[in-house]
Amino acid sequence: MKKTKKRDIGTIIGFLFPAVVLYSVFMILPLLMTCYYSFTEWNGITAKVFVGAANYADMLHDRKFWQTLQNTLILVTFSLIFQISFGLLIAYLLYIKTKGAKFFRTAYFLPVVIAPVAIGLMFSLFYNSEIGVFNKILESIGLGILKTNWLSNPKTILGAVMAPQIWQYIGLYITIFLGAFQSVSGDIVESAQIDGANKSQTFWHIIIPDIRNFVFISMILCITGSLKSFDHAWIMTKGGPGVRSAYLGVYMYKTSFVNSDFGYGSSLSIIIVVLSLIFSQVLSHINDRFADK
Amino acid sequence: MNSKKLISLGLIAGMIISVTGCGSSPAASSTAASSSAEAATKAAETATTAASAAAAVDAASTKAAADAGNKVKIVLATNWGEGDSKYDYFYPKFQEFQKSVADTIDVELETYTTEDYKTKIKTQTASEDLPDVFTYWGGGMMKDMCDAGLLLDIDDYFADSATVKRDDFDPTSFQYYTASDGKQYGVPIESTRGVFLANSELFKKYNLEYPKTYDDLKKCAEVFKKNGIIPIAIGSNGGTPSEFFYSEIYNQYSGAEDELNAMTSGGPFKTDNAVKVAQDLQDMVKDGMFPEDTVTNGGWGPSLQLYTDQKAAMTYTYPWMYESIPEDIQKLSDIIPIPQMPGSSVDSSTIEAGFTVYGFLINKASFEDTAKHDALVKVCDFLASDDLTENLVLSGMVPCKNVDTAYDKQKLIMQKTIDYAKDKKLVQVHYTKLPSNEAISAMDSGLDELFINGISPEDFVDEVQDTLK
Repeated sequence: MKKTKKRDIGTIIGFLFPAVVLYSVFMILPLLMTCYYSFTEWNGITAKVFVGAANYADMLHDRKFWQTLQNTLILVTFSLIFQISFGLLIAYLLYIKTKGAKFFRTAYFLPVVIAPVAIGLMFSLFYNSEIGVFNKILESIGLGILKTNWLSNPKTILGAVMAPQIWQYIGLYITIFLGAFQSVSGDIVESAQIDGANKSQTFWHIIIPDIRNFVFISMILCITGSLKSFDHAWIMTKGGPGVRSAYLGVYMYKTSFVNSDFGYGSSLSIIIVVLSLIFSQVLSHINDRFADK
Repeated sequence: MNSKKLISLGLIAGMIISVTGCGSSPAASSTAASSSAEAATKAAETATTAASAAAAVDAASTKAAADAGNKVKIVLATNWGEGDSKYDYFYPKFQEFQKSVADTIDVELETYTTEDYKTKIKTQTASEDLPDVFTYWGGGMMKDMCDAGLLLDIDDYFADSATVKRDDFDPTSFQYYTASDGKQYGVPIESTRGVFLANSELFKKYNLEYPKTYDDLKKCAEVFKKNGIIPIAIGSNGGTPSEFFYSEIYNQYSGAEDELNAMTSGGPFKTDNAVKVAQDLQDMVKDGMFPEDTVTNGGWGPSLQLYTDQKAAMTYTYPWMYESIPEDIQKLSDIIPIPQMPGSSVDSSTIEAGFTVYGFLINKASFEDTAKHDALVKVCDFLASDDLTENLVLSGMVPCKNVDTAYDKQKLIMQKTIDYAKDKKLVQVHYTKLPSNEAISAMDSGLDELFINGISPEDFVDEVQDTLK
């Protein structure tokens, strides 16, 4: 018995070792190094100077940090609202209306596989007030009053940069939720309906609790995806004007690679990691509480 | 031994082999390099004088490497890749050069688009893995590399080059590559001139004269706007082209030249002139001189495109964009002085922004590597050659090197630029004078905000000044 156990341990270590080494070298080690850099003043070239928590203290007085944090949290909120709810809604419609479901599933998923750079460039052109289609469409449907310079108007710029990203990834959640709906046992749904539950009651009290874990995973993906957002904002506006359309990821990149302030840039990276952990833990806690009920 | 154990051992062995395999090439190269170096040293021992010994080391090192079948590898990095206006003029010459030295040198060309290229060089600098030679900007852009001692004092290159000498270049062009220690760390290639273009056909069509003052400009702008024409195609995205236009207007004010020169040695950005010019630009935005959407119409390409599409009557650009101006637009374009701003005292028709903007830097460690030295000098000689320079001129480049450039072979717009510049005093711009990347970046993003009225002129100036502390 003991011999078998020893052999099993050897096999387990053997299988895990490559993955642990790769994960440590490419994930854990860089994270630890970034954490160390965040306590230094470093331009990426000359020697690192240990400055303790000075970079984090600087953040408290950095207007640009607070603005990009606010932009990021707004993106997280809107992503959760639109991507998860639209994802659920459209997936449910595809689930109950099976005619053409395959086509629509592919059509909705299509934007997900397009490079964010291409989406960003495409929307930049759409938004252009001289040659773009958005203003022309608004005018043609009698909503000319809503015409604006989408990316040059301080009131609309953040929304204009957020919209393509939120739109692009709705398809991902549709696919996840459609798979989740299809995994719900037909017997349970049928039993509920025999017991007199209508479609709405079946959805909220039978299906949703059954796919709770899928919703939870989707919310984690949605939040972490939003926290590390970069591509769309960088392509469309480079986070500008100023940092009006920048998220933490964009501000971190600009600080590190444009301003060559790798110490401060690393501390911004750590903040992104910490926020991701906090959000994940809070959601996990909420999910556990629902599971207990 | 059971099958599970065999599989796990196999996986571990595979992992170890792959990790070892990754590390084997540099080790092999390093062995080859040291053998070459040994051969070089032996050859050098036969030389009689110290000078000839040094030369022998270089020659023998390259030859030894070639004899051994190990060509010297030189990495040349540039942003003149496909899509860049210089690509068609650079790449064929590069291929010719690459072929001519193929027996002894393996010249590896790395190209990236401009913004990616800046990031690449910064990342490579941080990882101490700079290319052997690379085209790059000077001033604040190369400061960190100079401070870290990564770049070669170009006098060392000129001393070892048989074909390229300091005297071949316009002496003022080295100013941009002069670091705080007084030494120069870049060989200048490209100088440039700021040009304010006006579409003569549109002015004729609406019976307008070219504006000489800001009041004239306002009158022209009214007419153009009434007819759906944007008066001046200048946006601001990442500070282009607004930053250079800002500098051009700045130079219209008394004392600007001294203030700009003082900036490299710690002088302030925040001056009365700086606030005045920021105010001028914001007034121009409010008066509808520029496209309404200054972000999407910012950047060199989009700004120029409005002009070349004849949707705008005027624009401000630089010769590196001439490749994008169609011939018919070149014909109907005139270069005119920027209208005189209210309260300015330097006659705008007598000045023009003109400065060194680009060149190449040499990796000091590579230059001092005896195995690479000779080959590296050859690649540098190619980059600074008359042949390549003359070809690049055809793309719309103003050369820093004194070469014979046939006037009639150049683009029409370039001929007009040369004619216009004849009686102009060249003035500097903030881009080459600001002492750090951070300051340039703050100016760029501040101007983007200024153009959308998201920041006051005073706040803009303060934000840039804050980076200089």
